[in-house]
Amino acid sequence: METRSKRLDILFYIILTLLAVIFIAPVFIVLMNSFKGQFYITDSPFSLPNATTFAGLENYVNGLRKTGFFSAFLYSLFITVCSVLVIVFFTSMAAWYISRVKNVFTRALYYTFVFSMIVPFQMVMFSMSKIANAMHLDNPIGIILIYLGFGAGLSVFLFTGFVSGIPREVEEAAMIDGASPIRLYFSVVFPMMKPISITVAILNAMWIWNDYLLPYLVIGNKYRTIPIAVQYLQGGYGSRDMGALMAMLVLSIVPVVIFYLTCQKYIIKGVVAGAVKG
Amino acid sequence: MAGIRLVNVNKTFPGNVTVIPGLDLEIKDKEFVILVGPSGCGKSTTLRMIAGLESISSGDLYIGDKRVNDTAPKDRDIAMVFQSYALYPHMSVYNNLAFGLKLRGVPKDEIDKKVKEAAKMLDIEKYLERKPRALSGGQRQRVALGRAMVRSPQVFLLDEPLSNLDAKLRGEMRTSISRLHKSLGVTFVYVTHDQVEAMTMADRIVVMKDGVIQQYDTPKNLYHSPINTFVAGFIGSPRMNLFPAHVSKVKNKIMLKADAYSFDAPASLSALLDGYIDRDVTLGVRPEDIHAEEFYMGLDNTLKINVTVDMAEMMGAELYAYFELAGERMISRIPSRMSVSEKDTLPLAIDLNKIHIFDKETGKSIRV
Repeated sequence: METRSKRLDILFYIILTLLAVIFIAPVFIVLMNSFKGQFYITDSPFSLPNATTFAGLENYVNGLRKTGFFSAFLYSLFITVCSVLVIVFFTSMAAWYISRVKNVFTRALYYTFVFSMIVPFQMVMFSMSKIANAMHLDNPIGIILIYLGFGAGLSVFLFTGFVSGIPREVEEAAMIDGASPIRLYFSVVFPMMKPISITVAILNAMWIWNDYLLPYLVIGNKYRTIPIAVQYLQGGYGSRDMGALMAMLVLSIVPVVIFYLTCQKYIIKGVVAGAVKG
Repeated sequence: MAGIRLVNVNKTFPGNVTVIPGLDLEIKDKEFVILVGPSGCGKSTTLRMIAGLESISSGDLYIGDKRVNDTAPKDRDIAMVFQSYALYPHMSVYNNLAFGLKLRGVPKDEIDKKVKEAAKMLDIEKYLERKPRALSGGQRQRVALGRAMVRSPQVFLLDEPLSNLDAKLRGEMRTSISRLHKSLGVTFVYVTHDQVEAMTMADRIVVMKDGVIQQYDTPKNLYHSPINTFVAGFIGSPRMNLFPAHVSKVKNKIMLKADAYSFDAPASLSALLDGYIDRDVTLGVRPEDIHAEEFYMGLDNTLKINVTVDMAEMMGAELYAYFELAGERMISRIPSRMSVSEKDTLPLAIDLNKIHIFDKETGKSIRV
């Protein structure tokens, strides 16, 4: 029995290692090519840079110059940070209400949020962008509101699962201690939600940072976020600066990877808590 | 001055589930009252209604002279200690104690003084900077008590505060809570399903069943004069032995017959049994009133029986001998120096001066 389970373990390790390689390969290829001369990227995309092909930081300098990367970085940062704050703030409150006040309305509200998770973005994107334009949400502040809408489903789902696991008695103790509902939320409930708030923040930060379609549809060329700025490196008539493209992709990936690595333990903790207690 | 008065208080949950049909209860100022009863008897609901955490469907609740049905928990001048401690996990012990005072706008130096006083009293001074998760169960419970103390409320409400502690700690905390009650001189209302806690700490005990008060009396009276078979069986460990008997009148004497044993009814109860001639009753006898020692065998007013022991449990100072009488399982508490084991035939003497007689239909004591 023992040798059999050991063999199974080895098999799993091999499969998982292969999967890890498959997932990491594109990132590695991009990183590798970002240091190669333009010509060599298309010529031999899978070979490591060598004395001939190595281009140093030329691609990075080119990319930064052509894309206006710093302004795109600031727009991305502003939109991501603000959207995440707004999502965490409002959805945690909504989830607290849903989980503590049990009636038909809150149940309907909860299922509406959960249902919104399974509606594909492509289904609503055109009508949504029309409405966004009509409501003058086509600016970096307006898009935060739209992100709140798209981020609410998963966030409310995760928060509700977590809040259900918080003993009600703690809130009751605070009520007896003299806390008003607002004070209760900010002084007691929200600090207790810290682990799930971090999870929700990370999950939302990653997709908002990487999102291309929504900013492209809503704020378009006016306020370029990183994915849009990078996309503009593909010039018209098939001309494209592959070196700069690779370099900018690396720069756009780096923040989100660092962010993920520093917070990854919270992601797993939070997702599991939400899943089990939901 | 903060007595508590519940007048015809009813609690009905959505879906028409009535937990408390109509409760009348008066708790005197500075009294230590314990609510006991089996799970689902409504004792915690009653406490939560007093706290204001549960609304009252109908009836009136007074704390002191003020009707508080619609008063928010924070304005009732109460403090509550929960079974799960309900400490704020992200705050230090100091801040847990200070939170209520901060919310009430008490000046900082006064908060500091009160928190330190309470911490000293409860022996948690050295843990003030720790978070609750770094404390043991007993320490957490003391913090919960401290949090209630610092606000100097008129009423302390405690909902099974010792249930999560081990037996040794529970014993220690029982003493601490009794001492706290004496030193604070305020009203304590305490909920538990552990009758040892109830018997040792309370001035008066409320025994509840299905939302109805069965008996409200001192621990001594509850033990010695239970009002019905429920209270008789609930208070006391091991529980009171209850078994059927038949009442008859032979030559102007009232006789009781249980199983194969016939005996004269005790003189103190004879008059009360007049109305029960030719009817069945339930007899109750505490395990400690069924003796195995020779001294009792010689006494007059005992019923001597011979039983076969089903099981013998050695408890240290005493031994529980289980046997069957009149179809009921009985327990006798006998000195552990006696050597008794399974299948032994054991002569026992039931002290007839200590028996309780209950109406078979209503379960009520015939003394009532």
